[in-house]
Amino acid sequence: MLCQNCNQKEATTHIKRVVNGEAEEHHLCSECAKKLGYDHFLDDFSLSIPNFFSSFFHDTMPALKGAGAEHCGTCGSSFEDIVRSGMVGCADCYDKFFDRLLPSIQRIHGRARHAGKTPHYTVEPDEKGADKVAEAPKAQTAEQQIAALEAEMQKAIESQNFEQAAVLRDKIKELKGDDRK
Amino acid sequence: MKWYENNAEHADIVLSTRVRLARNLKDYPFPSRLNEAGKNKVNAVVRDALLTGKRAKTFDYVEMRTLSHTQCVSLAEKHLISPEFASDSEGRALILSKDEDVSIMLCEEDHVRVQVIYPGLSLEAAYETANELDEALSRKVEIAFDPRLGYLTQCPTNLGTGLRASVMLHLPALSRSGAMQRLANTVAKLGLILRGAYGEGSKPVGDIYQLSNQVTLGISEQAAIKNLESIANQIIAQEKSAREALLKDDVFIDRIWRAWGILQSAHMLSCAEFMELGSLVRIGAAEGVLDIPVQTLTRLLVETQPATLNCAQGRSCTPAERDVLRARAVKEALR
Ligand SMILES: [Zn+2]
Ligand SMILES: [Zn+2]
Repeated sequence: MLCQNCNQKEATTHIKRVVNGEAEEHHLCSECAKKLGYDHFLDDFSLSIPNFFSSFFHDTMPALKGAGAEHCGTCGSSFEDIVRSGMVGCADCYDKFFDRLLPSIQRIHGRARHAGKTPHYTVEPDEKGADKVAEAPKAQTAEQQIAALEAEMQKAIESQNFEQAAVLRDKIKELKGDDRK
Repeated sequence: MKWYENNAEHADIVLSTRVRLARNLKDYPFPSRLNEAGKNKVNAVVRDALLTGKRAKTFDYVEMRTLSHTQCVSLAEKHLISPEFASDSEGRALILSKDEDVSIMLCEEDHVRVQVIYPGLSLEAAYETANELDEALSRKVEIAFDPRLGYLTQCPTNLGTGLRASVMLHLPALSRSGAMQRLANTVAKLGLILRGAYGEGSKPVGDIYQLSNQVTLGISEQAAIKNLESIANQIIAQEKSAREALLKDDVFIDRIWRAWGILQSAHMLSCAEFMELGSLVRIGAAEGVLDIPVQTLTRLLVETQPATLNCAQGRSCTPAERDVLRARAVKEALR
């Protein structure tokens, strides 16, 4: 797609904004984006630039296009998917592709390390799905429990309920481990 | 009371303060890798974690697909959601406080975007409110986090604190003095961004600007807030001294009164004309030339945006109909 401003260069920046009560989308080349004041890595409250990171990737890292088809085990994204969309797939992608993401992260943020707060997750046992799952099939044999849990896990994965699936997977592992004793 | 109906500190220059935190759940792929069912699941997890106890009564949970397109755009005009969030409702939900000062976008660019909007200059209070919600969420749900990169976000530009704070400033005197470009360049060197809040990027309308932080990695939340606050205070001081000089000019005082006259008597007002004249009346109100409360102008600025006018009418109007409605609303408010 060509830039809507100059009609000459390839549009790399996509801007959505509200104009006269309508959400409008603009496609601009990086130069026109800069000229019109969209030259910041900013998705503030009044406009968003979802594909800016993507264009930025293409500008700075052309050599990575043939990087192979390694996929993130959690969300299935390849590094090329991330470059193409400008979106990282999931938290584990940052781990899996850390070395390849780092140069771009440093282009944006420098060599900085996180200096802000840290989340404090406190497990509240009576609210966790795991315990409810464990209680229900008490009267069953271990095999029945595993089969039921596996079916449930499959359902959880199909409905993209990954949190629940992870809990069930751990539960199944535990039960299978007990059997071997 | 809604933020745009309240009086507050530095309200003569600062319209509002906003603080936003970007968060993602550890166990789910980011929104662009989720289908509708996956997004709905994320939304439900966050809803159940946050809307307990007192919050269950003071917040509404809204599935975006239940709103009309006009209602969505109106929420964006009030800065309660992003234009991007308004443009596509699939799998998205909004947690909105009844006062409309806290809005939590679910499955926008990130799973959770907590936003607090307060009137006037109120950065610390706004951050505190956003932080309380973040604490409540992160105690119950595991949040995607890395010790080196901080909070993990779908777009790496938000890594670190995931904190974006901004203040909306009315700077008619500074923009008339031609100082805006220089000022924008100066604050850019300090890691902040100053840009027009309305209108096209290069031609801001209504002399309303947004000052926000750019850096999210390698800086603490407190330092980012303090930094923004101190620069905002310096810009406020500069605007004040520029106003002093401007208000000695009879030609400018005349323009304020003429703007007042038109806003009080016009039968039709386009959005652009209202923005321009409203800016003059706002400085007149703030500096005691005109005897009206400055927040009247803030309320009008929000309520006369096109989709918000449509919403108030409960239907879609033609631009000409809207201009009549806008003029009527302005006339009534300034009476
Ligand atoms: Zn162009
Ligand atoms: Zn992934």
